[in-house]
Amino acid sequence: MTSPNGPGKATAGQGDITTQPIRSGRVSTGTDVRGISVSGAGKRFGTLEALTPVDLHVAPGEVVTLLGPSGCGKTTLLRMIAGLEPPTDGAITVDGDDPVAARSAKRFGFVPQSPALLPWRSVEANVRLLQEVNRAANPAALPDPLALLDAVGLTGFRSAMPHELSGGMQQRVALARAFALDAPYLLMDEPFAALDEITRADMRHLLAELCEPRNTAVVFVTHSIAEAVFLSDRVAVLSARPGRIVEVVDVDLPRPRTADLEDDPRFFTIETQLRRLLHEGSGR
Amino acid sequence: MSRTVRQRPAAWAVIGLVLFTLTWELWVRLADVKPFITIEPSRIAGELADNPRFWLGQTWLTAWHTMVGVGVALALGVVVGAVLAAARPVEWAVQPVLVLVMVTPWVAYITSVVNWLGAGTPTILFMVSFVTFPPMVFAAVQGMRSADVAARELLASVDAGRREVFWRLRLPSALPSLFTALRFGTGLGLAAAYFSEGGSVASGVGLGEVGRRGTQNQGGGYPIVWGSIVCAAILGVLFLVGVNLLERRVLRWHSSQRAATS
Ligand SMILES: Nc1ncnc2c1ncn2[C@@H]1O[C@H](COP(=O)(O)OP(=O)(O)OP(=O)(O)O)[C@@H](O)[C@H]1O
Ligand SMILES: [Mg+2]
Repeated sequence: MTSPNGPGKATAGQGDITTQPIRSGRVSTGTDVRGISVSGAGKRFGTLEALTPVDLHVAPGEVVTLLGPSGCGKTTLLRMIAGLEPPTDGAITVDGDDPVAARSAKRFGFVPQSPALLPWRSVEANVRLLQEVNRAANPAALPDPLALLDAVGLTGFRSAMPHELSGGMQQRVALARAFALDAPYLLMDEPFAALDEITRADMRHLLAELCEPRNTAVVFVTHSIAEAVFLSDRVAVLSARPGRIVEVVDVDLPRPRTADLEDDPRFFTIETQLRRLLHEGSGR
Repeated sequence: MSRTVRQRPAAWAVIGLVLFTLTWELWVRLADVKPFITIEPSRIAGELADNPRFWLGQTWLTAWHTMVGVGVALALGVVVGAVLAAARPVEWAVQPVLVLVMVTPWVAYITSVVNWLGAGTPTILFMVSFVTFPPMVFAAVQGMRSADVAARELLASVDAGRREVFWRLRLPSALPSLFTALRFGTGLGLAAAYFSEGGSVASGVGLGEVGRRGTQNQGGGYPIVWGSIVCAAILGVLFLVGVNLLERRVLRWHSSQRAATS
C-alpha cells in the first residue's frame, strides 16, 4: 500500500542527529536548515535497493532537477521529500522540520505525472481542491484561484469540466492547483511527460514564468534534458538503479529564463554535458 | 413510415411491446390456453381499468417497500463499504459472510424471518434490505478502491483528513459502481418485496399479497393474479427508468454517460 504515515509518525532514520521532528509552526533551528536537506537518505524495498543514500540541498527559491534513467529512484526520492514515504537510511528535513510535519503544514505543492483532476469537479473547483482540505494549515492569505487560472491561460474555462480539456490544458489546471497553496516548495514528478514536444516546451516556459515572481523552490523530476537545463539552477544527475547522484551540475544561465534561451550556445553546452553524464551513469 | 421514425429507438420499443402483447392475446384466444396458465392481456387491462384506485394503491405500497428497503441497503452498504475499503482484514472477514447471504436463495429462509419479525411490514423491509445489501457493499468497496492513485497521493501531500478524502474522492469515485448496483438492486429488491408481501397474513400490504390472494381464490382470481404481475412489471420498468435518469444527472462527468448522450 502507498498510504502515507499519520502525521504523528517520525520518519527520520538512523544516523540522524540534527533532526528533531517539529510538528507545528515553521520554526527553523538555524540558518543552514532553511530549504530541503537530504542527508544520506536512501530507500530499500525489502531486498531491492531503490536509492543508495544521497545528499542534496535545495535552498529556498532554488530550482533543482532530478535527472536520471527510468527506475533509478527519482519518484522514490521525491515521495520521501514529500513525507509520503519514510527513508530507510539517513534523514530529510524541510526548513528543519520532518517532511511529514511539512506536509501537514501544507508546505508542498505537489504535481503528479498525470494531472489527477477530479472529473466530477469543474476546473475552478479542482484548483480549489487543496485549499478545501486540511484548512487549519492554510496560509492567512490564499491565492485567488481565478487569478491563477488567468495566469495559466485558462480564463474562459473556469466552469469547464476536465474531460472538456486537452491534455496540456489539464496539466495547466494541475499547475494552478499546485500554486493555489502558495507553498514554498513545489514537488513535480515528470509533470509534462505525457504531453507532445511542442506543448511540453510551452509548459516549461509557463512554469518558469510562474515560479520566478513567487520565488518558489522546485524539485523537478524529468527525463528531458532540455527541460532540466531550461528550468533549473542545478541539475542532479542520477545513475541507473540503484540510483545515486553522479554529479550535481550548476546551470549558469541568466534569470528570468525565457524561451529564446533555448537557442543560446551555453544551453547546448550544458545539455551536452548532462547527456554525457547521463550515459556514463547508465553504464553505457 | 418516415425516415425519422425509422431511426427512433423509442418507436421501435413500442412496436416490439405491441407485437409481444398481440402475440400473447392471439395465443391465449386461438390455442384456448387455460386461465391457470395465463389470461388475455385485454382481460388484465380490463381488470386494471375497473379498479384503478385499488391497483395504484397496492403498487404504491410495493414501490414504497422496495424503495425504503433498497435505500436502507444502499446507505448501510456505503457505510460498511467505507469501513471495508479502509481495512483489508475486516474485508477478508466480512466478505465470505456477504457472499453467503448473496448466494443463499432467500425464498428458502423467509419463513424463518416471518417467524422472527412477524408477517408484515418489518419482514418485508428486512428482506428487501437484506438481499440487496451485499451487492451494495461490494459495489461501494470496489468503487472506493478504484479512486485514482495519483489523486490519493495529491490529497496525502497536503495531509487531507480521512473524512475529507472520503467525501471528496472515495465516495464520488464509488458512484458509477453504486449506480450499477442500484439498477440491479431495485430488480432484486422488487422481487423480494413481492414475495415477502405474499407471505403476509394481513391484507392491503402490496402487490405480492394481492397476487397470493388471487392464487388462493380458485376460478375468479386469475385477473387479480395477473394484474399484480403486470403492475410489478411496470414498477420494475419505472425503477429502471428512474435510476437511469438519476444516473444521467449525477454522473454527467462520467465517461459512460458521455458515450450514452452523444
Ligand atoms: N512501493 C514500492 N515497492 C517496491 N518497490 C518499489 C516501490 N516503489 C518503487 N519501487 C522500486 O524502486 C525503484 C525505483 O522506483 P522509482 O519509481 O523511484 O523510479 P523512477 O526513477 O521514478 O523511474 P521512472 O523514471 O520510470 O518513473 C524501481 O525499481 C521500483 O521498482
Ligand atoms: Mg517516476
